[in-house]
Amino acid sequence: MAHPDYLTDLASTVYENLESQHDWTLLESHIHKQSSSLVENNKTWLPRPLITGLPPRRLYLHPDDQVELVKTHATYTVDETPEIEWVVPMHLNEKFTLKQLAEVFDSLELPEPLAEGRCKRLLMAIVHDDSTVVYYFVHDGIVKPRQN
Amino acid sequence: MTSSSPRPHVRISKAANRYLVFDIDDVMYLRRNHNICSVFVGTMPQAPQQSAFMGLPIELMAEEAQVLVEKNVAFVVDDSNYHPARIAAAGPQDKQYIDAIKTVTGDAQRSMRESTEARKAMFAYKGASKKKEKKNKKAPDTQSSEDVTVASSADAEAAATSLFDTTPEPAAATTKNSPVTREAPEAWLATLTTSGALLTPSPGQEEPIASVDVPASYPLYAHLQDKGYFMMPGLRFGCDYNVYPGDPLRFHSHFQATGFEWNEDINLLDLVTGGRLGTNVKKSFLIGGRVESEERQKDEAETALDVRAFSIEWAAM
Repeated sequence: MAHPDYLTDLASTVYENLESQHDWTLLESHIHKQSSSLVENNKTWLPRPLITGLPPRRLYLHPDDQVELVKTHATYTVDETPEIEWVVPMHLNEKFTLKQLAEVFDSLELPEPLAEGRCKRLLMAIVHDDSTVVYYFVHDGIVKPRQN
Repeated sequence: MTSSSPRPHVRISKAANRYLVFDIDDVMYLRRNHNICSVFVGTMPQAPQQSAFMGLPIELMAEEAQVLVEKNVAFVVDDSNYHPARIAAAGPQDKQYIDAIKTVTGDAQRSMRESTEARKAMFAYKGASKKKEKKNKKAPDTQSSEDVTVASSADAEAAATSLFDTTPEPAAATTKNSPVTREAPEAWLATLTTSGALLTPSPGQEEPIASVDVPASYPLYAHLQDKGYFMMPGLRFGCDYNVYPGDPLRFHSHFQATGFEWNEDINLLDLVTGGRLGTNVKKSFLIGGRVESEERQKDEAETALDVRAFSIEWAAM
């Protein structure tokens, strides 16, 4: 099932925002499941279009990792090791349900397995009509907050 | 019903749709063993005119009451029905309770009487000594009314200062001499500090078990409770529950949690405001609810705790 136009347009808005305003690199749009996209005539659509990309700096550091880094005095190295992030574009006027959110997470195929006790995470990009885009991390599970 | 723990079940009184626990042992037990600390709502007898520090009872959230009932460690009694029925059914088996009231009223009456007598004796003693002093001071022939007033006011001062020096000994001595006129003792009424004796049902009486009306966010609560988190009411952070990783006296809360139904529409603006507020107060905004699927409807009872939760934080970009 193809995505409606407004979702595709939303994705391109967020794509451009990431590229131009936040200096992300390696940006890629996804509309099919990755594992299915190899076979040409058997593609599974994602529930929503997704974007992957590499931010210029590390965006997220799990609090447990942060504790480890503080112990080894290596906090300065974190910024230089950004990770590929998954982005789900949404519009502020949309409504969503837990079910939809769960489907998006279930459709995520991470290139490498997660570390012990870690959950998948998404970056939710919320677009408003004045082209403001705000970004929120959504974790698939109970993840304690970061220590700022 | 058979209990898995040797401890007697915690009695939760339901009154006016509030779930109250009055027994301090139960309160400590719930806090230590079931990560429920809840809110104290009772007035403190020592400081009744403030509301910053409260005492027993604690008021459980409906979710907490329901979790405890499901864990089979507590039962909920409809107190508004039970209490009057129990008092009406009072009989010879309540002799102990009635005796306790009699003892308390007797003791109170006796101590009141003693203190009244002591006070009377004190006044009698002072009055006598005043007269003596006056006689010594003034010559018997020069007793003008003016002088008396002056002297008596001076004496009053002296009496006030000497009030704290006087040993109770002379007062007690005069008590015996002074004639005591006593009115017929009134029947006293006493309210015991505990009516615990009346909580045990009289023989043949069943405690009416009340149902618990849990809100829609209950599955998320039960899920977090099962994982050992402490939950407090979430009003102050605009959510259903404040979620603490341990006892709230030792930890800051990690999450503001709001429960949703699996197919309930969530406004994105709610998510933004929740996420933004949470980040400002160093918390994560947690949303979650019970997973509903086709298979779920078949065997609903088995997988009561199939809950999925998502944590939301501002990404700072």
